[in-house]
Amino acid sequence: MRRFLQRHVSQVALSPSLALIAIFLYGFIAYTAAVSTTNSKAFPRFDTFVGLEQYWRLFHTPRWHVAFTNMFLFGGLFLLVTISLGLLIAILIDQRIRAESFFRSIVMYPMAMSFVVTGIIWQWLLNPTLGIEVMMHQLGFESFRLDWLTNPDTVIWALVVAAFWQGCGLVMALFLAGLRGIDEDIWKAAAVDGIPAWRVYVFIVIPMLAPVFLTVVVLLSLSIVRAFDLVVALTNGGPGVSSDLPSVFMFDMAFRRTNLGLSAASAVVMLGTVLAILIPYLYIETRERA
Amino acid sequence: MIDLRISNCNKNYGSLRVLKDINLEIERGEFIVLLGPSGCGKSTLLHIVAGLDRLSAGAIEIGGRDVTDVEPKDRDIAMVFQSYALYPTMSVRSNMEFGLRMRGKPMSEIRPLVEEKARMLHIDHLLDRRPSQLSGGQRQRVAIGRALVRDPKVFLFDEPLSNLDAKLRASMRTEIKKLHQSLGTTAIYVTHDQLEAMTLATRMVVMKAGEIQQVGKPEEVYHRPVNLFVADFLGNPGMNFMKGHLRLEGGRVSADVGAATIPLDGYAFDTAPTDGQAVVVGLRPESVQPSTGGEPFALTLKPTLIEHTGSDNLVVLAMGGEEIVGKFPSDMLPTLGEPVTVGFDLSRLSVFDAQTERRI
Repeated sequence: MRRFLQRHVSQVALSPSLALIAIFLYGFIAYTAAVSTTNSKAFPRFDTFVGLEQYWRLFHTPRWHVAFTNMFLFGGLFLLVTISLGLLIAILIDQRIRAESFFRSIVMYPMAMSFVVTGIIWQWLLNPTLGIEVMMHQLGFESFRLDWLTNPDTVIWALVVAAFWQGCGLVMALFLAGLRGIDEDIWKAAAVDGIPAWRVYVFIVIPMLAPVFLTVVVLLSLSIVRAFDLVVALTNGGPGVSSDLPSVFMFDMAFRRTNLGLSAASAVVMLGTVLAILIPYLYIETRERA
Repeated sequence: MIDLRISNCNKNYGSLRVLKDINLEIERGEFIVLLGPSGCGKSTLLHIVAGLDRLSAGAIEIGGRDVTDVEPKDRDIAMVFQSYALYPTMSVRSNMEFGLRMRGKPMSEIRPLVEEKARMLHIDHLLDRRPSQLSGGQRQRVAIGRALVRDPKVFLFDEPLSNLDAKLRASMRTEIKKLHQSLGTTAIYVTHDQLEAMTLATRMVVMKAGEIQQVGKPEEVYHRPVNLFVADFLGNPGMNFMKGHLRLEGGRVSADVGAATIPLDGYAFDTAPTDGQAVVVGLRPESVQPSTGGEPFALTLKPTLIEHTGSDNLVVLAMGGEEIVGKFPSDMLPTLGEPVTVGFDLSRLSVFDAQTERRI
């Protein structure tokens, strides 16, 4: 027994958490997948097997299409805005500026806030009768209009702005770490070669940050698919269903519309989306390590 | 013709004086090696010449033009770094071409130039590879190639061989020397490796704590160090030092070092010696040899330790309360504890004032 323990101490130490993961993560994933093949309403019922019918129904639900398209629209804009501005801020902070930690803290601060708080803050700021619009009117800009929250065509921008405000700090920190990791001599060599700074960034430094980009894209993509609390707090899917995301759809189906089967099907589709992002990433990561 | 002139160069970081009144004139075609322990300011001086660091006071002239406030790219210099500093996302060819392209040189001129220099450095078969696919030695060749294609007035080397293993370092050293002989371009080379300094330099500059200690040909600095620091810093194993006093008797000078009295009749004093002056007498291990009977000065000493280096035997000899090291040929192996007669080559003596530590 002692010898067994000595030899397998690491496995023994890990086994409780492995067991928990097996049951509560993979077990429930399998359970959800099973539920998605039933016609369960308020409670899971396995005697109502319907095969893939819930998936067929899911992809014929207009609201799901809105939610699923929104995910890509919101995701694309969010990635673009957060990565480009996060990188820009990181580059600015990397210029050996004074009071660097002060600016770093400012950018990082929103990260410490939960999405619910973020959502409520931006709900106030974007509220036409409370926030920025009123402030601009008081400053004399009477024609200023900021109706993102009430306009179905632009409400997605409200989500993007709030999510960017929250996620920018992390992206900036990752890029800044990457920039700091670049050999000083590269900059000196470029200075001697007479390469202007912006060209050094475009042709040398940013390509060198490729692994950071990959990490950032994966982290942000996962947060896009998971995005739920921000939408609930900021727009609650509205106006109408115009700012719905798959996670909100799933929650609604499961707990308000008592349609567990359809909800489970949407959860499985979301899982598939996440895997489609993660598997190539893990593949590239492990191939690079090997 | 002076290619590079450094006048009254000072560099301070706050109250810390990194460089103190450096003056140096470098003729066209010289290979100057800046040598010194870490923190002596040699790299800072090189960076100032390159324009990567601003000087606090003083002036830099390259090719007769004052470049004190000129950007690095307009100074007509090229630099090779310790970490190679190759652009990792570009092929070897692009690395070598990039600087010239930025200068707006037409590709029709760049191509043949890059290929010629690549052949010269034996990296022409690597041109389409990425730096990450090269070995350390190959990377340093590429870095040198990138500097060569620029055809600068002055080459700057910042410890370029420090990241290589011993064997590669020796062969790269030879190549850099050959390269300099065939190109004849002025070069400044920073290193803390005295072997590199001795073999490469046409003139070397020994620095300590931001000040130049000695400038001269390698053999001159080696055999006639101006102070104790230079004497001690150069040479491996280090110079033997014997503390003592000068004695002036009937027009003859000798040094009383406790266990022996060393005659200094043949020594060329820089300053007039005084009787009783406290001195340190220095003699390199290779000037302490087993006696052949013909030396004007020999002592019988007891070996206390022998180190075999392959080519020589380093013999530690007890001399009074002190120890001195002799470099014996490998076929001369004394027995521990059995006195041997060693001859001192007094023409290679260095005598320093014990107080000022200067050569006298």
